[in-house]
Amino acid sequence: MYAYDTFDHAMVNARVAEFRDQVERRMTGELTEEEFRPLRLMNGLYLQLHAYMLRVAIPYGTLSADQMRKLAHIARKYDKGYGHFTTRQNIQYNWPKLSETPDILQELADVEMHAVQTSGNCIRNVTTDQFAGATADEVADPRPYAELIRQWSSFHPEFSFLPRKFKIAITGAKTDRAAIKWHDIGLVVKENDEGEIGFEVLAGGGMGRTPVIAKTVRDFLPVQDLLSYLEAMLRVYNEQGRRDNKYKARIKILVEAMGVEEYARQVEAEWEKIRHIPIDVPEEEVARIKAFFAPPPLAVLADDVPAVDELAGKNFIFKAWLANNTGAHKVPGYANVTISLKPHGGIPGDASDEQMDLVADLADTYSQSEIRVSHEQNLILPHVAKKDLPELWQKLDEAGLGTPNAGLLTDIIACPGLDYCSLANTRSIPIAQTITERFDDMKRLMDIGPLKIKISGCINSCGHHHAGHIGILGVDRKGTENYQILLGGSGGEDASKAAILGPGFDEDGIVDAVEKVVAVYLGEREEGEEFLAAYRRLGPDTFKEAVYGAH
Amino acid sequence: MAKKITGPQLILANRLDDGRAVFLTAAGAWSKQVAEAAVANSEEELTGLLSVAQAAEVSNQVVSVTPVAADVSGDAVAPAHIKFAMQSKGPSVRSDLGYQVSPNWE
Repeated sequence: MYAYDTFDHAMVNARVAEFRDQVERRMTGELTEEEFRPLRLMNGLYLQLHAYMLRVAIPYGTLSADQMRKLAHIARKYDKGYGHFTTRQNIQYNWPKLSETPDILQELADVEMHAVQTSGNCIRNVTTDQFAGATADEVADPRPYAELIRQWSSFHPEFSFLPRKFKIAITGAKTDRAAIKWHDIGLVVKENDEGEIGFEVLAGGGMGRTPVIAKTVRDFLPVQDLLSYLEAMLRVYNEQGRRDNKYKARIKILVEAMGVEEYARQVEAEWEKIRHIPIDVPEEEVARIKAFFAPPPLAVLADDVPAVDELAGKNFIFKAWLANNTGAHKVPGYANVTISLKPHGGIPGDASDEQMDLVADLADTYSQSEIRVSHEQNLILPHVAKKDLPELWQKLDEAGLGTPNAGLLTDIIACPGLDYCSLANTRSIPIAQTITERFDDMKRLMDIGPLKIKISGCINSCGHHHAGHIGILGVDRKGTENYQILLGGSGGEDASKAAILGPGFDEDGIVDAVEKVVAVYLGEREEGEEFLAAYRRLGPDTFKEAVYGAH
Repeated sequence: MAKKITGPQLILANRLDDGRAVFLTAAGAWSKQVAEAAVANSEEELTGLLSVAQAAEVSNQVVSVTPVAADVSGDAVAPAHIKFAMQSKGPSVRSDLGYQVSPNWE
């Protein structure tokens, strides 16, 4: 893991001191709310329906066990005993007091964490594959590059007041688990014909009220040019992105308006002007950062573990957990493990302080003291010896963290919705809870197979409904909650936009609609065909007829 | 200038320090109990309540002052829209948190 140097410590501590002063001035009335609001947002502090909400950055979703313990401590001491892991791999606290926020930020700074740039029109937390450095299907670990981008973008003076917020995601694997095509900039680590490492660079993706899938701007960018090229991309956007209308201010609108070829041409022209000034860092600095992400010293172990197979033969739930919640590690004898934060009937992404403490302890015991957060709102132990899987599963299961549903229908992304969020039109969480209760039978879930449901409580799309195999969008219909169903979206390497199937439903009707869609799939699927493939083959009409009846 | 209204209104805000939702009372105080909210039945009454609320904003007691439509039935008063009704109770998915636990919940 990356460890702060003296500059990082100084920067973060200085920011805490600055915010402490700003909060004091707000409390005494020296600063008005109008003056203070942009300052608190720069530190991740929102005002929601019931209280303030603090969004803490988890850079590229990587946490140490000690950092997780600190997150648990903050939940216990300053909040209501829980936190919410988000689709940007961050954590949100729902009940902090304004006057205590500087103390929270200081506690975070003590473990090399902060809430800087988790809000506002700046470059947000860089996200990545939750299995980075721990998956068999990886060209290279993307985290050193994510860390480089974090350092470059933190307090970047030119990009602190962009037309709108800006999100970058990077993956080093063939399977895209970071939804890079739905980001303002997406980066794919790849190898060219000469065996050199570089990036495919994409731009102009985004959700919100205008969903757009990112397009390739450059097929191969050498690694050493990463920061100067990003600088050129941001410059063109910063100069030409619309500032007159916040709904048209994201880079996706600019790239759509000028065309990706023209955007790429202007980026290349800008890059030519700046690439020779020292924006990119020297090789030694890249090597220094890479060293923090060196593979952990894992002992050589047998890949076949009879005890694991034996338990799987006897216990269906463990077998399901093994199939769904563990993945192939790059080192034989190891697995990456997804800890589901989606218990059936529970709140997607929420974890109690006790659960966070437990995950920290389990990371110390079984996973090199390392934890990841996925954009699908789960936690990951990246380096677990296969021989430890039965014991680990038992401990997780006892704590309500053993739900074997990763990647299945009940592994639902849901935004906080109207239960917390001041922007929402409808609640999202209760819909997820009802669906997961309805589909509680693990055998049925296993039969249905991979199926991603994503729920947003408003058009801002924090619940990624545009990328759901089944997406659900909450809308305000004359003061009552109404839910539209969308089908056919994907956040993967085969990214696609989900399409609205028809008129919306009330909160019971939407769950019935999901049930009908699944029934069509089960009735029509071909041998081994997953839901998304079946939808793409069948088209919407078969589903529409089942959901709305023949017209 | 009087605000145009089509029905009874109450004034909702968040306390500065902890952000808790609070309702303006007829006495010009801020209560966590929606039942104690003052109800404006005319544009003049709403203007009067808003001037009290905005003074409290200026004196840093509350932020985000919002007039919202109210449902009034006998002595009972509640925000008409689900969003503000939610604010007067707490998250529906956590019945152990918010004013739904107790009107004086902290």
